[in-house]
This record gives sequence, structure tokens and C-alpha cells, in this order.
Amino acid sequence: MPFLSVQNLYLYYRTRRGLVKAVDDVSFDMERGTTLALVGESGCGKTSTASAILRTLPRNVGRHEGRVLLDETDLMGLGDEEFRKKIRWRTISIVFQGAMNALSPTSQVGDQVAEPLRVHLDLEKEEAAAQAEATLQRVGLPEYIANRYPHELSGGMKQRVVIAMALVMKPKMVILDEPTSALDVMTQANIINLLKELQEREFLSYLFITHDLGLASELADQLGIMYAGNLVELGPATELYEAPQHPYTRALMNSVPRLRGGQAPESIPGTPPDLIEPPAGCRFHPRCPHAFEPCGWTAPELAEELRSQRTLEAAGLPAIKEVTVRDDQHLVVELAEAPKELASLGPLSRFVDGQKRSSPVYRGIKDLALDGGNVVATLHEPEVPGPVGSSHKASCWLLTRGA
Amino acid sequence: MWFEFGGFLFRKPRHVKAVDGLTLQFGRRETVAIVGESGSGKTTLGRTVLRLLEPTDGKMLFDGRDITHATQKELAWLRRKAQMIPQDPYSSVNPTFSIYRTLEEPLAIHHVGSLEERSERIHKALENVKLTPPEVFVTKFPHMLSGGQRQRVAVARALMLDPEFIVADEPVSMLDASVRISILQLLRQLQEQFGISFLYITHDFATARHFSERIGIMYAGKLVEVGPVADILQVPLHPYTNALMEAIPEPDPANKGRRRRALPGEPPSLADPPSGCYFHPRCPIAKVGLCDVEEPQLRELRPAHSVACHLAG
Repeated sequence: MPFLSVQNLYLYYRTRRGLVKAVDDVSFDMERGTTLALVGESGCGKTSTASAILRTLPRNVGRHEGRVLLDETDLMGLGDEEFRKKIRWRTISIVFQGAMNALSPTSQVGDQVAEPLRVHLDLEKEEAAAQAEATLQRVGLPEYIANRYPHELSGGMKQRVVIAMALVMKPKMVILDEPTSALDVMTQANIINLLKELQEREFLSYLFITHDLGLASELADQLGIMYAGNLVELGPATELYEAPQHPYTRALMNSVPRLRGGQAPESIPGTPPDLIEPPAGCRFHPRCPHAFEPCGWTAPELAEELRSQRTLEAAGLPAIKEVTVRDDQHLVVELAEAPKELASLGPLSRFVDGQKRSSPVYRGIKDLALDGGNVVATLHEPEVPGPVGSSHKASCWLLTRGA
Repeated sequence: MWFEFGGFLFRKPRHVKAVDGLTLQFGRRETVAIVGESGSGKTTLGRTVLRLLEPTDGKMLFDGRDITHATQKELAWLRRKAQMIPQDPYSSVNPTFSIYRTLEEPLAIHHVGSLEERSERIHKALENVKLTPPEVFVTKFPHMLSGGQRQRVAVARALMLDPEFIVADEPVSMLDASVRISILQLLRQLQEQFGISFLYITHDFATARHFSERIGIMYAGKLVEVGPVADILQVPLHPYTNALMEAIPEPDPANKGRRRRALPGEPPSLADPPSGCYFHPRCPIAKVGLCDVEEPQLRELRPAHSVACHLAG
């Protein structure tokens, strides 16, 4: 049994505009003493995954379910009080993004590190202080730092204090959310070295959340790539870095500017999607160069493409007069010159085929038909790709159905 | 570039040497990247070059004209030729201005063009930064745009007066990885199209590598190494440059099993810098009696590649 098993985790937020599907059916397993790096861009749901596991939820939660098995106990089944007493900070703790700026400016560092011991374990002041000092040493800080205030410390030292706070209750697992983001390159390297040492010495498990693939590779045994609330690829880090399977993973790897090595970085066209109304089928399909029939093209997407289309006339076809979306799978196109017989759909079909390479949205068209002088395009049903593979999984139709 | 502070209550003022004795030259259509960590003085350099700050000492020549202590009238001339793209796309664009108004502002301030001409220039600028169709974007407000789109607006704004020189201060560090590249590529393309020179200020060595011709490394207010990109990467001469390059993690699973080489400590206080070479307290090869006594000067050790280190070469 793995140390941590997250199964079908969901976290949605309620907003005025609708339900934000921040974590949408995320599953992964981790062995004790290893690191799973969760990588993705902003808004992909990686921080929400941490909130879902630690149950640090805002008031506008819309859906929070799934199984989180830690040492075979389902954490999701525990009551709030039990979770707070036994799990949060004691078994799983967290280094929040920007935590070093959230240290209380009016308390000495030693007191801040000792606080969880006094609150959760009810320790006496001296005992707590002694353990806090020992923890500060564990993170490479000299004892006298305990009597300093945060503003007297450098960025790197503050981050070590934050890590000490996360370790003071001797948890089995630490969630690290962008633990080095505001730090200089050198300080970042020193903190990463510290995290490596601590993992080895104390058999810690890390869930390491970051947008930086380079940083992730420093600690990751397993790498998980998140996009728009979904875990699109997951597997051993070596395999993902050397042979990524999902088009988004590949695009992300190619977008990293390298200091050494020949390739120039490439951007990914488009922007991450709206999590309230994400794209149908595979959420990455609008930006994917390989998207094909089942990937989730809808009539509104085709309509947008056609409305910006000028090459129809160039192909010898009548100009488009109006495009109407009948529903998600059907589009009605009114041409300036209505085609009279079915045969005249031929040039249109050929045009569509010609566009498929440069504009994948055309591959969503299942067939074209005539309806009272208009052309009706029927699109393929969108299908959500499930994970394919065993220890190395990716959710992409290319893996099972080819292109 | 010295800042004075603390000179009240009869205390002797202390000086923060934000930029200390730096010499740099820019050619046309060239991008020079200044790479340094926070506190290295690179942002101060950027703002001084544009005369947003007046230098305490030294000289700055733009297109042959001395702008070091220029008058207001001369500064207006400079503003049309030299512009800035700031770091934070979320705070550099006025949230109460429509995109149209944001882009019109430089034209209005410098009394450029009739209303019709301005509208045309604004539409053209939006097309140049790929915010199309322009008609859709001119009426939008910043909060309706993504970070990448906002930064494109900042770029468009910098282009409004047809500048010859742009200081881009960490223009992509607040954007997502995939968006960064598209913005940097846009700047390169605009450079090609309009012949603009760029001063690209960043802490990210890797992007500096891909988007500039020359790189200068700053440490504690000093330029410690400068030269062509490829040469700096292949033959870093300054121990700080070397340490900086080694500290950067590339996406490589082999990193997991290794300890990353990094210098201990932090950059020095610019109000109270070390004696001799500012880097000597952290330098792995510092020589006592030399490095802690004498400040090294920049000297050219390879073609167009200079370094300020007693022990280099």
C-alpha cells in the first residue's frame, strides 16, 4: 500500500459566475520518503490540490470530495476536530507560498516556531522553546536566531524559519508550495539543498508544488503535470523529463529557456482556460497542435474560426454571410451564394480537408450537409480522455486512438 | 549612482552605492542584458539610464548628446527616444484607463498627432503587439485582460512615440512560463522591425541568453563581467558568474541525486560594502592581501569580453 493515495479528489469553488472546477478528479499515489512534484502554470489547480488535502478550505466551497488515504486511513472521513488535532501540522504540514512574508513582525522567531507545540501539544514554555531551538538547528540556523525578529533576518533565513515551523511537530509529510519563489538564485539553491538533506535525514515525504520544471527536477521522484484542474500526466520524473507523452507536457518542457543546450524556447499559443466553463473534452485541445476528432471541438469554436476566415473566397468558394450556432454540436453556415445541389458540397469538403493541418478545429467536423440552402456542419461528440498507462499515465486521445 | 539617506538629526549621511562606477555602451538594434540578483543595482541602473534618476557621478551620452544633468526641456526630447517597460503588468497600467486612453497618454503628453492620427497609431500599436482585433481591445480595461495581455499593452505604450531605445525591467518575471517566451519573442521581433535597442534587466540568466547579444553581470552595484552571450556562457571569467550559472537548475532528472553548488551568505550591504573587491567575502578563490585590499577594474581578457577580477585569466 502506498504511503499516500489520493483518489478522485474534487474541489470546486462557488462564485457568482458559477462553479470554478479547480481540482477535477485528481488521483495519485506516493511512497514514503519520496517527492511528488506537481507542476503547472498559474490557475491550474495545484495550490487548490494542497488545500483539498489539508482541508484548508475557504467558505465558498462548492464540492469537496474524494479519498485521501494516508497510512491506510481515509483523511476525508475524519471529523474537522480530529483532522485538526491529529493530521494538520502533526502528520502533514505546509510551507505556504510567500510564507516568509507572513511571519509575525512582532514576535521573536523562536516563539513563532514554538507556537504549534504550545497550541497542539500543550507543552510548557521552556520545553517548547528548547524544541524550537533544536528545530532551528535542524534547518541550519544558529540558536541565537530564536531571539531575533523576522525583519532582522535575510530572505533565506526567513524561509528556513518557515521550514522550521513546518517541521517542529515532526510530520511525516510536508507540502511545499513554491518554497523558493521570492528568493535569489543562490539562496534558492541553498534552500533546495536543505530540503534534500532533510528529506534524506528525516525520511520526509514532499508534495512539491511549483511552476518551475527546473526546480521540480531537483527534488522529484514523481512528476505530475496539471492543466486546468486536471492531472494530465503523471509518472517517474526520469520518464517524464526524457520522454513526455502529453502534448501539454511537451510544450511546457519546450518553453523552458535553457542555459546550456541548443534549443531556443517555444511559446504555447493561447491562454489557460476559464475554469468555470472549461473547453469540452480535453481541456487543452484549443491550444494543442495535434488535436483531432474526439478532442472536444464544439460549434462555438468552429464558429469563431469561420468568422475570422477570409480564405474561403481565396479557395473559390462563396463568401460566408452568416454563421449560427444551433447547439454545441451543430453549426449553420449561410453562404452568399447558396449551393443548389449536394455535389457542390464537394469543393467545401475539400476546403475543410485542406484546412485541417493548419487549423485543427476543422478536424472536429464530422460531416457537412445541406439544409434549405444553408450548410450544416455536424461536429464530433467531445470525449474526455482518461489516463492511459500504469506507472506513467497520460490523458490524451493520441495515445489510444492515434491521429 | 549614490543614494543619500539618514542625514537628519545632525547625523552624518550614509551613502548607498547602488550603482558604482559602471560603464556600458549600446549599439543600434542591439539587446544588452544586465543580469543580477536583487540588490545588485540593476533596476537603479535602468532608471538612471532613462534619467528617471539623476546620477551622482559620471556621464551618460545618448546619440552623442550629454543627458547626465539634462534640463527638463532636454528630458522631453529623451522621453520620445527612450522608453521603459516595467516589471509588474498588474500595477503599471492605470486600472481606471481604457486601453485606448493608456496608449493615448504618451501622445497627449507630447502633443503628437491629431485625434484621428492618434487613433490610427493606437490601432497600429495594438496590431504590432498582436492584440487583435484592435477595435475589440481599445475599449477594454486592464482587469479584463490576462497578465500577458497587460504586458503587451505596456509594450504597446512604450512604442507609441517610436523610441530608439527601451529599458525592459524584468518584463516577464511575473508571467507564466509559456507566456514569457511569447513576450520576449515579440520584443525581438519589434527590434527587427523597428530597429530598437534594448536594455533587458533580469535575474534570469537563461532568458538573457536567448534574447540578447551581450550580457553584463552585476554584483553589489558593480559590473563584474560583460561580453558576448556565447562567450560568457562558454568561458565565464568571473567567479560570481560561474557561481550564478551553477546555481540555476535546468529541467534534468539527474539533479535529484546531486547537491547543487551554491555560495553561502548573501550579497553585501550597499551602504557598507566590503573593502577591495566587493565579492571577496564569498569568493571561492579570493586571495588574501589582494582581493580584500584592491578593487579590481574591468579589463578585456577576450575579444569584447571584460571582467573585473584580479585572478581571472
